[in-house]
Amino acid sequence: MKKVLLATALLGASFSVQAAAPGGPGCGWGNLLFEGKSGTGMHLLATVFNGSTGNATFGMSSGTNGCDTSGALTYSGESLLSMNGVLEEVAQDAATGNGEALTALSVSMGIQTEDRAQFNALMHQNFAAIFPRQDVSAGEVMQNITALMQKDQTLAKYV
Amino acid sequence: MRTGLLCLLFCLLAGVTRADDGLATLAKQPRWHALLHINPGATLRDRHRSYVDDDNFFLAEHGADDPFAELRASVAALREPGAERCRFPARYRFIATSLGWHDPQPFAHCADYLQWRASVHAKRAVLVFPAAYLNSPSSMFGHTLLRLDQGEDSAVWLSWAVNFGAMTSEQDNSLFYMYRGLAGGYPGQFNLVPYLKKIQEYSHMESRDMWEYSLDLNQAQIDWIIDHLWELKEINFDYYFFDENCSFRLLELIEVARPGTGVLDELRFAELPVNTVRSLDQRGLITERHYRPSKQVELEAFSEGLSADERSLARALADDPGLADSDAFRAYPAERRALMAQTAYRYVRFVHRKEDRSEAVAGQSFALLRLISTLPAVAPPRATGKAPPESGHGSQMIAAAAGQLGGDDFGEFSYRLTYHDLLDNSLGFPEGAQIQGLGLTVRSTESGAPELEELQLVGIRSFSPRDQFAKPLSWYVEGGLERAWAGRRRLVRYLQGGAGASWRYGGWQPYLLASARAENNSEFSEVVTPGGGGEAGMLYHAGRWQWQLSTAGHYFTNDVYRHRSRLAVQYALSQQQGLRAQVEREGWRGGDDTEFKLQWRWYYD
Repeated sequence: MKKVLLATALLGASFSVQAAAPGGPGCGWGNLLFEGKSGTGMHLLATVFNGSTGNATFGMSSGTNGCDTSGALTYSGESLLSMNGVLEEVAQDAATGNGEALTALSVSMGIQTEDRAQFNALMHQNFAAIFPRQDVSAGEVMQNITALMQKDQTLAKYV
Repeated sequence: MRTGLLCLLFCLLAGVTRADDGLATLAKQPRWHALLHINPGATLRDRHRSYVDDDNFFLAEHGADDPFAELRASVAALREPGAERCRFPARYRFIATSLGWHDPQPFAHCADYLQWRASVHAKRAVLVFPAAYLNSPSSMFGHTLLRLDQGEDSAVWLSWAVNFGAMTSEQDNSLFYMYRGLAGGYPGQFNLVPYLKKIQEYSHMESRDMWEYSLDLNQAQIDWIIDHLWELKEINFDYYFFDENCSFRLLELIEVARPGTGVLDELRFAELPVNTVRSLDQRGLITERHYRPSKQVELEAFSEGLSADERSLARALADDPGLADSDAFRAYPAERRALMAQTAYRYVRFVHRKEDRSEAVAGQSFALLRLISTLPAVAPPRATGKAPPESGHGSQMIAAAAGQLGGDDFGEFSYRLTYHDLLDNSLGFPEGAQIQGLGLTVRSTESGAPELEELQLVGIRSFSPRDQFAKPLSWYVEGGLERAWAGRRRLVRYLQGGAGASWRYGGWQPYLLASARAENNSEFSEVVTPGGGGEAGMLYHAGRWQWQLSTAGHYFTNDVYRHRSRLAVQYALSQQQGLRAQVEREGWRGGDDTEFKLQWRWYYD
C-alpha cells in the first residue's frame, strides 16, 4: 500500500480509495445503515482516469443492488429506494425533515410541488413508523409510506 | 440511338455528380464533423481524422479518415428503416433534415433505442466539476462530467451523469495502470449513470465539493447530445490523461449540440478540466453556478455552528446515543439538541463511510436518527465562503527573483509546469494542499555564469487538519535536483517524504512531520545516502496574505547533519500575479548561510 502510494504520487497522479462491490462499477456505496447484505470489499483503484472496470453502464442500470445492468431505470418510488445508499439518505432526510433525497423520492412518486411540504412533514412525524428497525428493507419502507399516505387527506391521491 | 444512350449516360453521371457535390458540401458541415468526432486541429494526434478508435462506429471502410465517404455510406445505409438507423439516430436526423427525408416515425422499428430514449431525456444540461480534495492533491487537476436534468430543479438525484473515462482492467497493477493511462493504452468510453451515484462517489466517499454549471443549451441542442450519446454506446476512443480526457470529450459533445462555439478551435497539449470551465464561461455558455458541499464540509459547518461544550457533547453522543437521556443533554433547548444530534449522526456516518456494515454502527446510527426525528426540524448550517475553482490562478507559472546569499547578489528565473504550492494565491484552491510538477530555477550571480539552482520533478504536500471529528494523515513527497551543502554548495539529487499531522485554529495551521531523505551527490561516498529527520511548521492565511514558517532537518547515515529554516510570505497581487518574499537559513555542522529573496510570480494558462 505504502509502496503503491509512493509510486503513484511520484508519477504525479492522484490516488484515492474507491469502494466497489464485485458486481461492477459504482455498485457499492458500502457500509449501509439499512442494506447490510451487500457488503463491499475495499479495493484500491486509482481514479485518475475516471474510469470504470468491466462494462460501461449506459443508462440501463437499476435493480436492487444498483449493479444490475438489465432493465431501464424507471425511478418509481420503490426502485429509487432500492438503489444502494438511497434508503439511508431518505432516512436521514426523514429524520431531519427535509433534503434532496426526500425531494427526489417525492418527485419520483409524482407528488406535486405544493404538496411536498406535507410529504416531508409526514415523513418527519412518522419516522419511527416508517423505519421501525435498523435493518428494514426498501420494500417495507415503501409499504409503510404508502399506508401513511393513504390515511393522509392531501397525499392519499398519490397512492 | 447512340446519341440517346450517350445522353442518358451523361445525364446519369451529371445527376450523380450533382448529388455528390451536394453531399460533399454537407460532409464539410461542422455538425457532421462533430458527429464523427473529427479532430479539427485541437490536439496533435489524429489531426483531421476521427478520434473514435472503433470500427463499429463507421459505415464506410475509411470512414475515420474520410467524412465524405462516411456520409455517402451513411446516406445509403440510413435511407431505409433498418438496423443501422437504430444505431445512428443523430446521424439520421442530420441527414434527413439536410436531404429532406420525411418519415413521420423513423425509429418505429427500434425498440431498444425507443425504450432507452424514453428513460433518458433532459430539459437542462449541467457541467459538473468535482473539486480537489485533501489527501489527494493531484485531484487538483480535477474532473468534469455532464449532468442531464429531467426537469425539476431540486430533484437532481433523478438526473443522469454522462461520464467519459478509461476502461481499465482490475488485473493491472497500479504502476502499469498509470503508465497505460498516460500513454494511451486504455480505451475510453462514455457511460451514463444516475447522478446520485456520482454524488455518492465524490461528495460522500471522497469528500470532494462539487461545482455545477448550467449550460446555455436549449431543448433541441440537448436532444442532439442525447441522440448522439446513443451512437457512442460501447464505442471506444483512445484515452489520454493529458489531452484526450474526460473534459475534452465533453467539449466534443457540446460541439455536437452547438457547432461553431469555437471550444475546439485552439490547439492544446493538455485539457485541464478547470480550463474547460473557464473556456465555456468565456464563451458565455454558462448561465448559472451551484455549489454542492461535500459531506465532510457539511459536517464541518455543523461542527462550527456549535459551542465548544456542545461540540464535545455531540462527539460523546456519537459514541453513546444513550447520552440523549442525560441531564447534560436535556438541559439544552430543543433546537440546539437537534443540531448536536445531527452533528453526531453525520460524524458517525462520515467516519464509517468506507467500512462494511456492522450491526453496532448501524444500531448507533439508527438510534441517532430516531433521536433526530423526535427533535424539531432545523435549518442546516450552510457551508459558505468557498471560491469556485475557475477563480484560481493559472496552471503554469514563470517567476523572476532577486536576492542575496551569504553576501553574494543573485538574479533568478523560474518556470513551473504545474500547479500550486502552499504559498501560491489560494483563491479557488484547497488550503494546505500542494502539487508541483517540473519546476525549474536558473540562478545567475555577479561572479559566475547562470547555473541550474533547482529542478523539482515532483513536490506534493497534503496537510489535512485534524479535529474532534476527523483524524487524517498529513504527508509529503518531493524529489529532484537542488543545491545543498556537501563540502561546498553543490547540486544534489534527492528524494524525500514524510508523514505526520496538522491542525487548524482560525487562520493558523501548524504541522509536524517525520521525514526521510535519500540523497546522491558527488561528495558523499555512498551512491545513495539515506537520512532521517523531521519538519515542523506553521501556515497562516489571512485575505491575500499567506505566510509560512518552517524548519526541517535531516541526519544522514554518514554522520552529516543539515537543517533549513524558512520564513516566507506571499501577497496575491491579483488572480494571476503574486509577490513573494522569503528568508532562508541553511545550516550544517560547522557553518551556515542565509538567503533573502524577493520574487514576482506570474501564473498563466
